[in-house]
Amino acid sequence: MGGRHGMSWSAKLATALLLFSCSISQANELVIAMPNWFSGRASANILKVALKNEFGLEAKVAEAGTLTAFAGLDAGTVDIHPEVWLPNLDNLVKKYVTDAKTVALSPVGVEAWQGMCATRAAADAGISDIADLNDPKKTAVLDTNDDGRGEIWIGAPAWSSTAIERIRANSYGYGKTVTLLDMQEDVGMAAVDAAAATASPLVFACYAPHAVFKLHDIVRLSEPSYDPAKWNILLPSEDPLWEQSSTAASAWDTARYHIAYATSLRDKHPEVVEFLDRVTFTPEEATEMSYALQVERQDPYDFAKQWVSKNAARIKEWAKP
Amino acid sequence: MNLTVHRCGSIKRIASLALAVSIALVAPASANTQVYDPQTRTWVDYGRTEAYRYYKKHGQVPEAFRRQIVRFRTAEQPGTIIIDGNQHFLYLVQPGQQAIRYGIGVGRDGFGWAGIVRVGRTAEWPTWTPPAEMVARDPNAAKWAGGQPGGPDNPLGARALYLYEGNQDTIYRIHGTPEPWTMGLDVSSGCIRMNNDDVIDLHSRVQVGAKVIVLMQGAALYKGV
Repeated sequence: MGGRHGMSWSAKLATALLLFSCSISQANELVIAMPNWFSGRASANILKVALKNEFGLEAKVAEAGTLTAFAGLDAGTVDIHPEVWLPNLDNLVKKYVTDAKTVALSPVGVEAWQGMCATRAAADAGISDIADLNDPKKTAVLDTNDDGRGEIWIGAPAWSSTAIERIRANSYGYGKTVTLLDMQEDVGMAAVDAAAATASPLVFACYAPHAVFKLHDIVRLSEPSYDPAKWNILLPSEDPLWEQSSTAASAWDTARYHIAYATSLRDKHPEVVEFLDRVTFTPEEATEMSYALQVERQDPYDFAKQWVSKNAARIKEWAKP
Repeated sequence: MNLTVHRCGSIKRIASLALAVSIALVAPASANTQVYDPQTRTWVDYGRTEAYRYYKKHGQVPEAFRRQIVRFRTAEQPGTIIIDGNQHFLYLVQPGQQAIRYGIGVGRDGFGWAGIVRVGRTAEWPTWTPPAEMVARDPNAAKWAGGQPGGPDNPLGARALYLYEGNQDTIYRIHGTPEPWTMGLDVSSGCIRMNNDDVIDLHSRVQVGAKVIVLMQGAALYKGV
């Protein structure tokens, strides 16, 4: 999941830093880094609108990758980042929050989830638990090329989560009974769209919050709870023999994401820090945000204005409890 | 582009299919598509022979492979093409969570690859130039070694949409065909074929630059573009 939420930006860091520093207007009192994924774009704009409404503060939303945003938070050119995913970004949190103490995380997190999902037709065909993938009779419905093995999309090639899904398939055993496919997310999601349109069975890697859960009737496969004793991951970047050396025969650990802000904000605007520490979105709201921007193609700022208007009382509570 | 031939021949059931009239199909052992016959309430094999007979009798392909508006919920924007070679459908995403669905014929071995490309250019009544190996083995192709002009007998049919990866031609096309009965079958040599009426309709609606997503289904041993 690291690749899904920011860590694949490293190659672009230098260029992005340059562009980013040039794009920040001195006229704005605060700078909010905006991620490229949809819920992050929505929440960055919601914070912008709320800061204006509650504190009269102008905030600029500036698109930035996670590494760029953290560098900005550290340097004081960025004040707020709306979505820092954990445990994916544990290394950055250690560097800037724990060690340098230039960045702080809101104590409130939005719970995230990742695992394997099935279309309703696949669930109706008997695939509802991860163990069902070990049964070739059940996974036969996922076979589209008549080689006797079902096919499952496990993520995009660049995602670290894709390597981990491969490890999980090997550890659970279904790596032997099904063919694991990796391909860009748009291809994986379009396959879900086409399967839903024809009520066809399909199993795929998924994560929430995500618009797919609002688009389609999706069943999350049940599986044994996260067990750190069974979770020993070495990524391809860490060990050439990662696939043989790793095990992960349990569900993923619960992920969360938090608002991050520069600790310098505590002196500049302590009222904003108190506000940020109270902001909370539900996973359902995050899915709604993704859906509104990604599927309905709403403008992030317009969406944010409406969201803030609808949730005025709640935002007041965050600002002045 | 890396290409790997993959095995094909899976049983492909065309869901929610309602044949307009009763059909009596003989099921050959090697059929790779099935269609639903509402009169007998059974899935029946749909191979080249059945397809030809059906078309000859009805003057059109079975209902499932005819152009139609379908409900299609997706995050992709209107104008995007999604190709499901396994079910032999091409979707053109429309506003309002709908799509125009066209029946397609795909390669004998499926499409052979999956990924995201774009419509790089289009052509009306395109010239077809057979590949060198086809010229060498097929006398009918040999006479067109210099290029067969566009027309009703041209294998590329009425329109061609040339699929590009970035600015590079992938050599794959979505094109028409003089053999309209082949929709729903794995018959061509790797491209996506459509009825001429359908490819003319698609061509009229598609912008150069449109995103084209080729699904992995039916192509498990694919290589990405």
